[in-house]
Amino acid sequence: MKKLLTIAGCAWMITVLPSCGGNDQPGRAYAPDMVYSRAYETYGSTEDIAKAGAYYNERPVPGTVARGDAFPYPLKHDSIGYAQSATYRNPLSPDSINMKEAERLYLINCAICHGSKLDGNGPLFNGGDGPYTAAPKNFMDAAMKEMTEGTMFHSVTYGKGQMGSYASQLNTKQRWMVIAYIKSKQGGAAGAAAPAAKDSAAATTPAPAPAAAGAMAPVAAK
Amino acid sequence: MIPCKPTLQRLTLLFLSIFVLSAVTVSAQDGKTLFVSKCQSCHAPDMKTGSTGPALGGVEDRWPDKQKLHEWIRNNKALIASGYPYAVEISKYSPTAMDLFTNITDPEIDAILKYINDVNTGVIGGKKTEKDSENGKESNQNAVIFGVISLILALIAFILMYVNSNLKKLSDDAEGIDRPEPVPFYRNKVYLALFAIVLFIVGGFFVSKGMIGLNRQTGYAPKQPIYYSHKVHAGINQINCLYCHGNAWESKTAAIPSVNVCMNCHKTIQTYSKGPKLYDNEGMEINGTAEIAKLYEYAGFDPKKPDAWDPSKAKPIEWVKIHNLPDHVYFNHSQHIRVGNVQCQTCHGDITGMDVVHQASELSMGWCVNCHRQTKVNFNYSDSTGNQFYSIYQKFHDDIKSGKMDSVSVKDIGGLECQKCHY
Repeated sequence: MKKLLTIAGCAWMITVLPSCGGNDQPGRAYAPDMVYSRAYETYGSTEDIAKAGAYYNERPVPGTVARGDAFPYPLKHDSIGYAQSATYRNPLSPDSINMKEAERLYLINCAICHGSKLDGNGPLFNGGDGPYTAAPKNFMDAAMKEMTEGTMFHSVTYGKGQMGSYASQLNTKQRWMVIAYIKSKQGGAAGAAAPAAKDSAAATTPAPAPAAAGAMAPVAAK
Repeated sequence: MIPCKPTLQRLTLLFLSIFVLSAVTVSAQDGKTLFVSKCQSCHAPDMKTGSTGPALGGVEDRWPDKQKLHEWIRNNKALIASGYPYAVEISKYSPTAMDLFTNITDPEIDAILKYINDVNTGVIGGKKTEKDSENGKESNQNAVIFGVISLILALIAFILMYVNSNLKKLSDDAEGIDRPEPVPFYRNKVYLALFAIVLFIVGGFFVSKGMIGLNRQTGYAPKQPIYYSHKVHAGINQINCLYCHGNAWESKTAAIPSVNVCMNCHKTIQTYSKGPKLYDNEGMEINGTAEIAKLYEYAGFDPKKPDAWDPSKAKPIEWVKIHNLPDHVYFNHSQHIRVGNVQCQTCHGDITGMDVVHQASELSMGWCVNCHRQTKVNFNYSDSTGNQFYSIYQKFHDDIKSGKMDSVSVKDIGGLECQKCHY
């Protein structure tokens, strides 16, 4: 009888155990302590670190500049900051901007609403047929061409209207790169005769009047 | 001589047919792998519906010139720039330009085109998943039939043996020979030994299979705190994977987006009304608008007072991690997708078609190593898009020039070294 029980137990283990774990269970691990991380993971509580008296609030020390990033943007998220931003200039020199990378960033982060042709008709809006009901700004409009790079940067950093802040997805340098890309495309399309249409880095060619005016203006004092 | 000829003919025929058959299967499989790795992220695999790129069924008939089609696949930008009318026409299909495949060879293009044609005309079963499950069913049915047949045969053999022994006993009785009582089969040592060996082999097979399967999570599709459909977001609405998982380009982890990234769009998109119906794993219909409301709860967002929303008060959504690698394995996303140009779909499967995400790949070591063996490295570093790092492999460049090697795969540049991933 004991023998029979052992045999039945073995058979059960062979047949039932491997089939454990449906679609909503991850299944069994051979060595769980090696599979599931013991380190502090994304949603892990940091309470016990705080209890031990360590400084840990998940944020970098105020004023930290990441390696390779541009200097932080000083203007505040209020109407005064927005007004001052009009005269703020792109701190990156035009030669240092990799337009191919800037285009990539634009296509991923902006083109979904503003369109890959910058015409304000991305797949999410799709002429009003898409799920996104608010019409995104058309960068080829005269009004948007007149908007200075500083104001654009301010809006991308803090959000404007229905648009949210992109400061969590793009760092300061990347945001300036995207603005430079938009400005070069706007200039390129406006000055049809200018060779800027071919060379997206419109650094050497004369930019259209509004952008040039923005660039000539003195940098806003802090 | 005469009987020899047919045999020879038959043999030749057999060899020929084996050769032809194997050649066909190899090219079909190549076409499929090439299509999946190079085309499927933009072109629908059923060849009949449009996606990021147009439906590819009948593409060879649409193109006036086969040579131009090859040029288009290699470098569509150059062909558009040259002003070829059909190229200019199809470039208007979508604002998203097709990728350049400058390294693809003519036989590879032909294999892809053949695969496209086969799928379109139904030579190869329509959808991949359907075909696979059909195959699975077929082999299952076969196994059942074989099992039943062998059971019946075993029963017949047993009965015959029994009859045989009875007849022998009768004849022995009739002839008056006295033999000892036969040992019953359950005490017969030969039978018991045979039974033990069979049990050992069959049991061992299942036990080792179960052990190998430990911690393999293929198909794992847990319930998430919010029903988030990748099909609706990344598929239908064409949001780039890197919009939310941008860290995959820059760091080891692909990262889960924070609530403010969801709210970039969902501040405006407050209802789900334009997409297809959604179903969970159990087949229950999902109310998309209610799921968006769950997001608002995490975000602390009141749709009636959108201006009063404070993103800093949002609570993180605790998504359940599906793709998990053990702590003793190092994997870096940016190394694969940015340096290696691997598409997300290569490992994560057809994510743009998944309402509920499941783990498509095994994520086992054999699976990793297999890909490292097969994947070719773009060694064309002199091109401005190439990776200058590969210039240090002087020997491989010399070998390619002298024709000793035709391509370099990941295994050649250390993709099989233990300490690349385990340290």
